[in-house]
Order: sequence, then structure tokens, then C-alpha cells
Amino acid sequence: MRKTVLNKKNRLGFIVLFFLLLTLNLQLSTVSHAEAPGRIVSLAPSMTEILFAAGLGERVIGVTSYCDYPEEAKARTKIGGMSNPSLEAVLSLKPDIVIMTTNGNSKEFEARLHSLGIKTYVFMTRTIDQLPEGIRKMGQALDSEEGFDRLASSIEGPLSEYKAARKDKGLKVVFMLWPEPLMVAGPGTAIHDAITLLGATNIAEDAKIQYPKYSIEEIVRRSPDIIFVGAATGMDMQKKSSGLLERIAYLPAVKNGKVFFVSENLYRLGPRVIPGLEELAQYLKK
Amino acid sequence: MKIKFFLIILSALAVFSIALFCGPKWISPMGLSDMDRQILLSIRLPRVVVSVLMGMALGASGAVLQGVLRNPLADPYILGISSGAALIAAAGIIFGVTIFGVFTIPVLAFAGAMVTGIFVGAMGWKRGGFWPDRLLLAGVGLGFLFSALLMLLMSVSSNEGLKRAILWIYGDLSITDWSIIPYGVIFIAVGLAIAFSRAKALNSLMLGDDLAHSLGFSPGKERFILFIAVSLMTAASVALGGMIGFIGLLIPHIGRFVVGSDSRVLIPASALGGGMLLCIADLIGKSIVSPMELPAGIITAILGAPYFLYLLRKRDVLSI
Repeated sequence: MRKTVLNKKNRLGFIVLFFLLLTLNLQLSTVSHAEAPGRIVSLAPSMTEILFAAGLGERVIGVTSYCDYPEEAKARTKIGGMSNPSLEAVLSLKPDIVIMTTNGNSKEFEARLHSLGIKTYVFMTRTIDQLPEGIRKMGQALDSEEGFDRLASSIEGPLSEYKAARKDKGLKVVFMLWPEPLMVAGPGTAIHDAITLLGATNIAEDAKIQYPKYSIEEIVRRSPDIIFVGAATGMDMQKKSSGLLERIAYLPAVKNGKVFFVSENLYRLGPRVIPGLEELAQYLKK
Repeated sequence: MKIKFFLIILSALAVFSIALFCGPKWISPMGLSDMDRQILLSIRLPRVVVSVLMGMALGASGAVLQGVLRNPLADPYILGISSGAALIAAAGIIFGVTIFGVFTIPVLAFAGAMVTGIFVGAMGWKRGGFWPDRLLLAGVGLGFLFSALLMLLMSVSSNEGLKRAILWIYGDLSITDWSIIPYGVIFIAVGLAIAFSRAKALNSLMLGDDLAHSLGFSPGKERFILFIAVSLMTAASVALGGMIGFIGLLIPHIGRFVVGSDSRVLIPASALGGGMLLCIADLIGKSIVSPMELPAGIITAILGAPYFLYLLRKRDVLSI
């Protein structure tokens, strides 16, 4: 007797569950059939820059705490860092899509988002060369081809000019991101791409990681012709690097005033790589 | 014992010269090119000197502190001194402080260490003397507070690059150059001299306060003097190259296995042992993945821990 009562209850439960699932399913499918996503969360500063430059800034509702460009991006809701975004913060924004990159976001976080039914788009491009193509693909995924095409072309144009004009300058270059401990730009960074694209050699090209802690001894041994010191937010890099530059004052590059302090344009694989390239090109010409 | 000590000194000298000429690239002492000479004098030599200085300071501090606190788990970092140094130095990096020019970070670290040292000392002081358990607990408590504040500072800092920069705190010898070494030498030499001159008192302290009294030492006063020596050495070493773990904790134990626990021998032996270990560790760290570098602190532990465990297994009696 009791058994059947339980069964009835169970049946009722199943019916309720069925309808719940049905409505949930309908909701999910309405999302995936929608035109362009209206609520976008960006999990990387470079992605934020691309989204804004492609004209989707209005729809970006959440960004990382490192997204400081363009100025409007700073006003968006912060969802945490690149490697440690807050799942709760992302969820509470009810995003239609979350934009991630293979360069700094974790696969685990993507899996978590998927398991919660949130769509993601992962930007796979890692080189300046493929940046226009990557931007176009992203435009297709976001149903906003026009703005992304425009952005891609604006990068492609100058890029092909640089490529055409490229000739080996025989210059050895090092790009310092931080003086103490010394960190330089290694292969796999937009900085390294830019140096190579401009016909110079990055002396740290044999490093195995993007931002290696580099041996000062090797800098001396490889004696770069030009030293770039990158900017850091709120830091006086001239003062910060004075100690290191004093210690290698006997290097020709330092002696001949070939140490240049440059902006952070090339730190992110995004719309600012072109001004970044222009900046380096100007010093490599001299 | 004399022969053993002579051997230790000899191997220290050998390590020193190996570290100087080996490295990412071998530099032959005969026929130096101009570049070799520059690398040797302006980069390698100061770095080797700093690694030896730091290692000596940490090894000796550990030996003294384990005796003073009568605790085999004590190391120079347990008193919170290094956490204080790390916190102030990190704040300096994050807020872009440059008031002391190239000396900014070392000066901040040293100041942080000394202020913390004074604070811990004040907490450990009661009834006209130092009390080991009070010192220890005050140090551990402060250490936790400072580490938490450091993490807080790092989590709210909005620049990802800076986080990496702060890694120097966990041991980086590459930032050293000649200008800072004299200060390091002075503080560490003074600390070592104090510790060595009170070695007999330290021996008596390890027997217990009552026995120390009957041997004519005032435990409270001796602990105070030794605490100052340790603070000076630890502060100077953190200011020179950040926090290098392991040496201060395990070198004194290895030293006890090798030369026994008489402080008059153990303090210099721990100093030399610490110097050697850090010197070798840094040599490996900068050579093994050249042109990249690994932090020396990682290598000290990887090299030292297995040896320590081997000794631990071999010995029946453990003592401080």
C-alpha cells in the first residue's frame, strides 16, 4: 500500500521535473538561436580591446580587473583576474557569451562555464600575423562581421606594408618588461613578433617561455644593439631601471644612448599592435 | 675536529671559485677577454659574494635561533622578520616608491625587518628577559598577519606584471651589485661576531635556564643579545636577495650531524655550510635552463632536503 503512494509521489515528481527540463531547454535554445549576443563578458584585456575597437563596447557588461583600455572599459563590472575570474561574478551578469583566450585563461574555467550552460568563445590566435584572421573569425562567431571586418582590415593594411618593407636590419634587440628581477619578452609574445616583423632579432628568441626571468650575464654576452624598456602602469620605468642600466653601462647600447622607453602598446595582441609596431619601427630606423 | 673544520673551509673556497668560473658559460681564468672580465667582475662576482653572505647569515642565524628558542623547528624566518621585510618591500614595489634610488627595495626590506624584529622583541620581553615561547608565538602570529597583508596587497594590485616582480621576495639573487654589498657585509659580520662571541652562553642556554644560571649566564640577557644578532643577519640577508627558504632550518641540523652541537663550532660551520649551499644552488639555478634562470630558493630545497633526510635516517639520536 505504502509503496504505491510513494510511486505516485515519484510520478508526480517526474512530471514536474519533465516540465522544468522542457522549459529550461526552451530557454537555452532561445539563447542559441538569438542573433548577435547582447550581453558579453570578456575574460582578457586583449579581448576587451578587440571588442571595443570592433564597436561592441556597448554590449560588454563584464571585464577583468586588468582591462584598463579603452577608458570606457574601466567602468564595466569587474569579474576578477584573468587566471582567477570569479565564477559567481560572471554568472550574476547573466552573459549570453563569455569571451576567452588561450593565452591566459584556463580550460577548467571554460569547462565550468559550459557545465552551467554558458556559451563561450575562445580566441585561439597567438601571433600578430594571424591577428586579422582571428578577429574576422570572432566577428562571425558573434554575428557582427561588419565591425570586426573593419578592425581586421585596419590591422591588415599596415601589417602587409610592414611585411613588404621588411628587410634584415641585422640589429639585435632586447625588450625588458621589468628590470629587477630582469624579465624580458620571449617568443610567443606580440613584442617578439613585432621585433621579428621589423627585421630585427630578439636576443631572447631561444627562451622557452613568453616572459622569462633572464640572465643579465647573457644580455652582456649577446650585447644588444638596442634596449627597449616597456612601460608599467603607474611606474617611473626610467627610475626603476636605472640600477640595472648602471650595471651594464659598459654595453655599447647603453653607452651610445640606444636605450628607449616605450609604451605598453605591444603587451596585448589586439588593436594596439599597429601603433606599437610604429613605435618600435621609429627607433629601429635611427 | 680541526681537520674537519679545515676541510669545510677548503671546500667553501673550492665552491666559491667553481661558482665564479662556471655558470651559464665557462669562463677560463686564463686569458680573459674584455667581455669575460666585465661579466666576471660586474655580474658574477657580486652575485657569488651575495649568495655566500646570505647563506652564511641564514645558516648561522638558524643555528643560534634553534638554540635560543630550544626548538629544532626554528629558523630565521619563524620570527616574522622576513614577512615584515617582504610586506614593506612589496608595498614599495606596488606603489612605485623610489625615494632611495637603486637602494629603495633593500632599504625598505631592511627597515621592515628591523621594525618587525623590535616588535617581536617587545612581545617576547617579560619580567626582565626574553622568553622563548613568547618570542616564537609572537613571531608566528605576526608572520601570519604580514603574509595575509602581503596577499591582500597583491590581490588588489591591478597590474599583473607587478605580481611577477614581487616574486623577488621569494629569493632572487640577480638584482645584486657591488654598491649594496658593503652594507650587507657590515651587518652580517656584526651579527656573526656577536653570535660567535656569545657561543658559550648559547651552549649553556641549551642546557636549560637553571643550568645556564649556575654557569654564570643570565638567560634573559643572553637571549636578548643573541636575538639582536639574529635580527641583524636575517634583515640583511632578506634585504640582499629576498627570502631563501630551507637553509636557516636545515643547515644547522646538517651541521650538528657533521661537527656536533657545540655552538663555538656549529655557528661557523653552519655559516660556511649555508654559504656553500646557496652558492651552489644559485650556480645551478642560473645555469641549468640558461638563458633563463630559476630562483635559488627552489634549488636549495631540492638539493638539501634529500641529504637531510638521509642523515636523519642514519642517526639514532636527535638533539638541538
